[in-house]
Amino acid sequence: MNRREEDEMSVFPGLTRRDFLKCCATLASVIGVAGPMAVTSVAEALEDLARRPQVVWSLFQECLGCSVNLLQARKPDPAQLILQQISLNYHEAVMAPAGFQADKSFTDTVNSRDFYYIVEGAIATGIPEAMTVAGRTSMEIVKDAYQKAKGTICIGSCACYGNIQAAAPNPTGAKGVGDYLRNEGGISNAVVINSPRCPGNAEDTLAILVYILVNGKLPELDDKGRPKFLFSQTVHDNCERRGHFDNGEFVEQFGDEGSRDRWCLYKMGCKGPVTYAPCPINRWNGDISWPVKAGPCIGCSEPGFWDKLTPFYSKESGIRTPGDISPVAIGEALGIATAIGIGAHAVVQTARGRMGKGGPLSKERGPVDQPDHWKKQSEDPDDTKPGSEKGGS
Amino acid sequence: MTKVVIDPITRIEGHLRITCKVEDGKVTDAWNTSTLFRGFEIFLKNRDARSVWQFAQRICGVCPNPHAINSVQAVERALGVAKVDDNARLIRNMTEAAQIGYDHILWFYILNAFDYVNVPDALNAKPATPALKAVQDRLKAVVQSGQLGPFANMYWDHPGYKLPPDMNLELTAHYLQAIDAQQKANEANSILGGRYPMVHHLIPGGVTQLPAYDEIMFYKARMQQVKDFVDTVMVPDLLAIAPYYLDLAKTGKGVGNYLTWGVLDEASQDPYDRLFPRGGIFDSKLELQKVDPGMTRRYTMHSWFDDSVGDGKHPLDSGQEPIKFTQLPPIEGEAFPEGKYDWTQAVRLTDKDRPMEVGPLAQVLVAYLAGRTEVKQLVDSTLAAVGAAGKPEILMSNLGRIAARVIKAKVNCDNAVGWADDLLANIGKGDNKVYTDLDLDGSGTGVGGWDAPRGALCHYVKLNGGKVDTYAAVPPSNWNLSPRDDKGVRGPVEEALVGMPVVDPAKPLEILRVVHTFDP
Repeated sequence: MNRREEDEMSVFPGLTRRDFLKCCATLASVIGVAGPMAVTSVAEALEDLARRPQVVWSLFQECLGCSVNLLQARKPDPAQLILQQISLNYHEAVMAPAGFQADKSFTDTVNSRDFYYIVEGAIATGIPEAMTVAGRTSMEIVKDAYQKAKGTICIGSCACYGNIQAAAPNPTGAKGVGDYLRNEGGISNAVVINSPRCPGNAEDTLAILVYILVNGKLPELDDKGRPKFLFSQTVHDNCERRGHFDNGEFVEQFGDEGSRDRWCLYKMGCKGPVTYAPCPINRWNGDISWPVKAGPCIGCSEPGFWDKLTPFYSKESGIRTPGDISPVAIGEALGIATAIGIGAHAVVQTARGRMGKGGPLSKERGPVDQPDHWKKQSEDPDDTKPGSEKGGS
Repeated sequence: MTKVVIDPITRIEGHLRITCKVEDGKVTDAWNTSTLFRGFEIFLKNRDARSVWQFAQRICGVCPNPHAINSVQAVERALGVAKVDDNARLIRNMTEAAQIGYDHILWFYILNAFDYVNVPDALNAKPATPALKAVQDRLKAVVQSGQLGPFANMYWDHPGYKLPPDMNLELTAHYLQAIDAQQKANEANSILGGRYPMVHHLIPGGVTQLPAYDEIMFYKARMQQVKDFVDTVMVPDLLAIAPYYLDLAKTGKGVGNYLTWGVLDEASQDPYDRLFPRGGIFDSKLELQKVDPGMTRRYTMHSWFDDSVGDGKHPLDSGQEPIKFTQLPPIEGEAFPEGKYDWTQAVRLTDKDRPMEVGPLAQVLVAYLAGRTEVKQLVDSTLAAVGAAGKPEILMSNLGRIAARVIKAKVNCDNAVGWADDLLANIGKGDNKVYTDLDLDGSGTGVGGWDAPRGALCHYVKLNGGKVDTYAAVPPSNWNLSPRDDKGVRGPVEEALVGMPVVDPAKPLEILRVVHTFDP
């Protein structure tokens, strides 16, 4: 088959069939659909979309880091994503129009009630006017759009939990979207998917979107609203420096010989043992690097880490060790938080074996409570069959 | 008289409203309003000296590196450290160069291009190559789908779009290539920094570790690709587009004062001796003036803080409390902003309280006057190419800001690989040192002063026993997007807007262009 024929086989112009299947395979592995059927299921689900799913992406109290990371996505790359796989109707940093014309894109799409809502940034609840777009506060905008959306994904720790602007004393009353909606917003059963980390990781967000499109329902979430298929293991569990931890080989000072050999950063204040995130697995910037490759983890996927896990670069916070760690006595030596973290993961790992790339099958999990606007999409009782439900319309 | 309000200003970092008074087809007055406040200086109080840079780099997700370096340098200087190990200098330069490469590519294509490149008109082009045909087909598919996504509702019929269809198609193709090029730059940044945005390799006293040989080679390969893109795509694009928009060389001059704290250290680590050195230009006179971050003053009569917060104080003496929020006039209706209208504080340079324009234009003009050879050659050849040889003053304009960003991107990328080679040479000589331990429980006052890609950036810190007593950050948008100061003098963007022709107030493309040239 020549290149041209391959092109024609793909429903996405410009993307060859082979590239498309490669992309589906990656997504299938990330969202935890395994086996030879998986790639076909993901491919069928995506190809069946007559219309690209509409997406509205709001920016609130943020630094744009999550969007910048989205621009670093590879599978699919941002151009494929925006031109061929979704219809990104509103994103203030990307869209051509401004002012009234931009606001029209927002209003038209939101009022169509046929869109997925992605939020980057925290909601200013203490000083509502600390965050406005077109004269409306972040509180007004997010409540309106949430109620009309087919699903809401919070990308990055700001939208999930308030993040840095919520650091004590939280001058503007910054909150995560779910927290705001369930309290000040008055929607007590509001459910959003949290995809934390600072910045939010593009591949996480894409994986969640694809999960929803393929399965027609939201993934199972942990008690912090994070998809379990992404956030069920600690950074420490899968760390590339883990072998050095097990051998008792630690960096004692930045720049020392151990640091050149990439020994464990635990003594430099690494928060990996108490941080639940897929950082070492799906990594960053096209899989080439991740924070602990360069320095200690700061725990950026954990709610309140700016207050709970600081000071960074110090064992004084988060993870406390009374003295030097002996690898044979980790249980006694580690602080309570670490012990819980490692303990919880020992259970998970015993049950499933150590994860490679990608998570366990979603159908191993039980159903979760879903709000009405999610239920609309998953009426098929056989919801464990990937691809049995199609997103979009 | 017409009131024109653009809210949101899109394709920027942050949240911005622009209000203009338009009379007889021209802007006669302007107000910029940042509509986001987070309170960094408030929650940075009492933080640990080791941690604070991780907070500080979150001020901007588009340019975290310079915020991180500023914070680290302010802490180092507060603790009496003026220089870091040479390897640490080189690694900081390398990641900063990757940051600058990515940032200017991102701005030129992804944030700025739609003001000049008419994307739907690319469908009218006759593609000269199969690659351009493929881009056109891709675009056609989007248009035929009826789902225009981010291209919907733009005023593509505006007469201000001047490029012929073939160029619109080519520039659209380059927009797609630019996505790849900025990824390459960020790969270079993240191979050393762990990820981008939000890096992990910095620490007061140096950097966390010596990069491995393969990491340095990876960096070199990526930055070479970025340099190739700048040389073969971005610079030619500038020269190809400029002739169609030469009228922009006559507008948007603004305040005529330029400021840079300098960026990218030479071996001396002296801010006045950087690749882009520290310096100022006053009153449109192309003479180099000596400036210092201690000359920064804040005013809050027109910001949503108590008048007494600013009042001409040094950043470490002012802060962000108490807040005094007052409502903005609604978008509709006749009312213009009065009194307080901005979350941004007005910053001015003593002793004459000048509003200062910051950004690549300031960086390039100062480097030009300081006699930096590579900058001088590029500026002179660019001026000659647009028929303005020997007239660097025409750079003080909207078009000049665009050109300066491209020139700076090139000088930056030309040097990046060299720093990697210097690092390899040091390692070859047995110098593996990247970190010098310092007493992080100490006290003192320190200042950064290391430009972000979009302009002068300075962090100030007062440490007390290893904890932050006071922290102040004056980012570039604080200068460019200053509101009026206590004497009623407009900020640089406001001033640059005044006099700008607006053909159709319902489609204020010209206003968007001026604002975007500042990369807010």
